[in-house]
Amino acid sequence: MKRIENHPILTFKRGKKIKFYFEGKEMWGYEGDTIASALVANGVKVFRESIKLHRPRGFYCAIGNCSSCLMTVDGVPNIRTCITPLKEGMHIERIKGKGALHYED
Amino acid sequence: MSKTYDYIVVGAGISGAVVAYELAKRNAGSILILDKDFPTAGATGSCAAGIRAQFGTEFNVNLMKISLEKFEHLHEELDYPKDLIGLHQGGYLVLAYSEEEMENLKRNVEVQHKIGINTEILTPEEVHYRWPMLRLDGVVGATYHARDGHADPFYTTFAYIEAAKRLGAELRKHTPVLKLLTEGEKVVGVETPDGPIYGGNVIVAAGTWSTKLLKDIGIDIPLWAEKHEILITEPLARFLDPMVISFSKDFYAQQRPHGGFIMGISPDNPEQWFDPNDYNIQSSWHFLKKMASTILDVMPFLKDVHIVRQWAGFYDMTTDNHHIVGPIDAYDGLWILAGGSGHGFMFGPAIGMILAEWIVGEELAYDITKLNWKRFKEGKLVIEPAVVG
Repeated sequence: MKRIENHPILTFKRGKKIKFYFEGKEMWGYEGDTIASALVANGVKVFRESIKLHRPRGFYCAIGNCSSCLMTVDGVPNIRTCITPLKEGMHIERIKGKGALHYED
Repeated sequence: MSKTYDYIVVGAGISGAVVAYELAKRNAGSILILDKDFPTAGATGSCAAGIRAQFGTEFNVNLMKISLEKFEHLHEELDYPKDLIGLHQGGYLVLAYSEEEMENLKRNVEVQHKIGINTEILTPEEVHYRWPMLRLDGVVGATYHARDGHADPFYTTFAYIEAAKRLGAELRKHTPVLKLLTEGEKVVGVETPDGPIYGGNVIVAAGTWSTKLLKDIGIDIPLWAEKHEILITEPLARFLDPMVISFSKDFYAQQRPHGGFIMGISPDNPEQWFDPNDYNIQSSWHFLKKMASTILDVMPFLKDVHIVRQWAGFYDMTTDNHHIVGPIDAYDGLWILAGGSGHGFMFGPAIGMILAEWIVGEELAYDITKLNWKRFKEGKLVIEPAVVG
């Protein structure tokens, strides 16, 4: 688990354990995690690929600006996972190319 | 020492760029293009760059037919990368929200068919079958013309300017024209911060800045700036091909080649100015709110999509929403090409070419002489029923 356990200034209060799915794989995080922090803690380094050259992109600005962490969450594309709280049972997927829209017939 | 030019083009938007290129192509003489900022810095660079032949008068449909044909071969004619000019012909889908509106659209289509623009008339069921992602509440019918579309306003303008330069034209950026220089009843050049530049012909293609330049030499034209706002979303995978517009709801929206959705809607009370010093191009939350709530009725799939940019620009409006083109015959050698009224980009390739023909004395590809500057005083306005945004 890649988590900062001891920090000179901050203390981390962990909420209860919650289950989510990354690319269909079961993973665990804590209440209070962002999606991105839970993914990093589970060893996920590649969040998406760049649109033109398909290079890996990972955790970067962590404040919702850089678009490096955009992922599809429960079917909705381009979610800024670094500022979106993790919720029980979420399905997180990498975006291949650009995010895909859907419509209800 | 300063060189004397045969033609000085004031303004490097689409209009100035096209007329400069078309003059250069005709070996008309030495050409200088001036811009107070840089090519596309004004209305051209803030526009949505839609291109449609779905107008309601024979005059405009004929002109747009010429323009469409120009756009379709522009990369070859100007020797510029096709993907940069970015012509995407996904069609224009015009939605009608009342029987009366549909009748008007059908009348427009009759005009279009006569001229060889093969617009289709669609029922709501047919629209739903082709574009099931659209929500059609209240839609009673639609028209669709597959050759309509959009292009990149920046690269299209650059392509014209680069082609003009290859043919000998010169471009000076960041060179505002402070005043048009006249001697008696003749225009002789322009005053700039670097001093005067002399030329036998001056073509004013300065969009909304044209009014003041001409007023300062005693020419009054009813051309003013009207603020319109626009936004674009983050890029998404290709999802929707046509530009979707409505005349009654006054919106347009389309997906750009890079995937972002670009859209605009007219303000309830548009801000208008005659004097460039008064222009306000700040973005407003009023636009954002009206745009978002209107477009979600038609494109509910945009619900969770982020907007990445919002900006404003000017329509260079005239009393009858048509260009002012041709000689300003109060002064020998003075010409104007301005006042696109929100359609300057799409008409640009046709109208700029025809003005060049007019200037060098060729037969006009289509008679646009009724767009002369005197029509307002003479009460001969040119009326077009199909305008939006």
